[in-house]
Amino acid sequence: MKALAQLIVLAKKSMTFAFVALFTLSVVLPLLWMTMTSVKSSPEIFASPWGLPTTPHWDNFANAWKAAGIAHYFANSLIVTTATLIFLIPIGAMAAYIFARYPFPGSKLLFGSFLGGMMFPQFLIIVPLFALMSNTHLLDTKIGLTIVYIAYSLPFTIFVLTGFFQTLPKDLDEAAMIDGCSHSRTFWQVMLPLAKPGLIVVGIFNGIGLWNEYSLALVLANSEQNKTLPLGIANLAMVMHYSGDWGALFAGLVIVMVPVLIVYWFFREKIHETMLAGAIKG
Amino acid sequence: MFKWSGLSQNKKFVGFDNFKDLFHDNVFWMALLHNAEIFAIGGSIILILGLGVAHAMQGNGRFTRALRSVYLFPNIMSLVVVAVLWQFLYNPRMGLFNAVADLFGKQKHRLDILGTPGTALPGVIITFVWFAAGFYIMLFSAGIRQIPEEVVEASKLDGAEGFVRFKKITLPLLWSVGRIALVYLVINTLNVFALVFLMTTGGPDRKTEVMLTYLYEQAFVNSDYGAATALAVANFVIVMAVSGLILKLTKNDPTGATR
Repeated sequence: MKALAQLIVLAKKSMTFAFVALFTLSVVLPLLWMTMTSVKSSPEIFASPWGLPTTPHWDNFANAWKAAGIAHYFANSLIVTTATLIFLIPIGAMAAYIFARYPFPGSKLLFGSFLGGMMFPQFLIIVPLFALMSNTHLLDTKIGLTIVYIAYSLPFTIFVLTGFFQTLPKDLDEAAMIDGCSHSRTFWQVMLPLAKPGLIVVGIFNGIGLWNEYSLALVLANSEQNKTLPLGIANLAMVMHYSGDWGALFAGLVIVMVPVLIVYWFFREKIHETMLAGAIKG
Repeated sequence: MFKWSGLSQNKKFVGFDNFKDLFHDNVFWMALLHNAEIFAIGGSIILILGLGVAHAMQGNGRFTRALRSVYLFPNIMSLVVVAVLWQFLYNPRMGLFNAVADLFGKQKHRLDILGTPGTALPGVIITFVWFAAGFYIMLFSAGIRQIPEEVVEASKLDGAEGFVRFKKITLPLLWSVGRIALVYLVINTLNVFALVFLMTTGGPDRKTEVMLTYLYEQAFVNSDYGAATALAVANFVIVMAVSGLILKLTKNDPTGATR
């Protein structure tokens, strides 16, 4: 009897293991396949799509970067994402500091409306937004897209940073004030450096989201000149259906994916916390 | 609520006509049905996978944590990469699914999964599950970690193991996390856009059309901004109503715990 019970436990354990292993494989296999295909030549991709590459074709990456114009889209994404973060983080931090430290009549309501904005799917206002951008001649400009990105990222940024400022001890800003710091000096020279870990996490989190953003960019900045990386790759995928340089396309996909995954891997624990904070408290 | 095409000043007040048109629009109902299918089928698979994987890997060691991070890879990458990658996995000439089918003898007729009306939506749903599951695994894992150690120990002493413990202890104590997961699923499945737009653009024959791809078509292909905005409002009301209903229906925690 005892042996039978042990056998059942063993069977259950191995079933659990098989389940997890199968799931892991189904997540990882497509990504590995994509990476492997990015160093194969186009004829090879068609002849044996699942075979290992005979000789690695690193020139796929050069082709994607130069000939297929990934470099240009990459630069656009870099400009828009960086510009957004440069404005987003200080504005978000200032607002969050006030929400955390100096409640005023109506501040709860205002904070609540920011939370609402966080849950609101941005695509639903795409038509009025399109009209607004068009009327202000910001349609299809990098500046316009940046402004929209700042507004779209603010609610979440304020939400996370308010939580962060609330965890900082009050004694610190009070001590600074007693020592004769003005409100603004207290904020810029005492509180903001203390909030640095929070600012970095929010910056990384928003940076990844903006780097990947597709829907808003599709409607608001769709010309060849202003396309960001996701739009560029989508376009490339369409073009390659006709021209057939599949190797370069897969290299392009890897170029989009890898920087994000590297950054994610370094900050993964913090990113998980931020995601869960948004999910459970929001 | 205006008849308004393009960006002219030519607006005509038409009252609720845009909404009347919407309710008589078969494409809208079809799109809504597809959203509902993605929620019902994809959502169920995601919940089962999320709960199952989170329950199976309860440890919080280095390796388990790293694995959970790997599950989030699809969620962290650009949706464009996900969509293009899966277009190739479904590709009749070189895709994974046809390669698997070939293992059981060479197929004469190769199935174009995204190009065939009957299989396109299931294809999109599988991709959605692949993309989204990691987040729900993380959510449920966090929920399981919140369960007090003593409860788990006590149930072990009482002989509750494996599936019994999962059913009697883990599942009820995950109630509040489960509610959040459901509301998230409603929002994410009713507002799915980029994935469908990139994989199928709603085709073939509108068999994968969802509300927001139709909104895009109405606004930026047909330039019917009034109809598109009416659709946006309808979408918002539906999401709010369904989320509210779910929160209300699941209000009574069976464990009686108020958290």
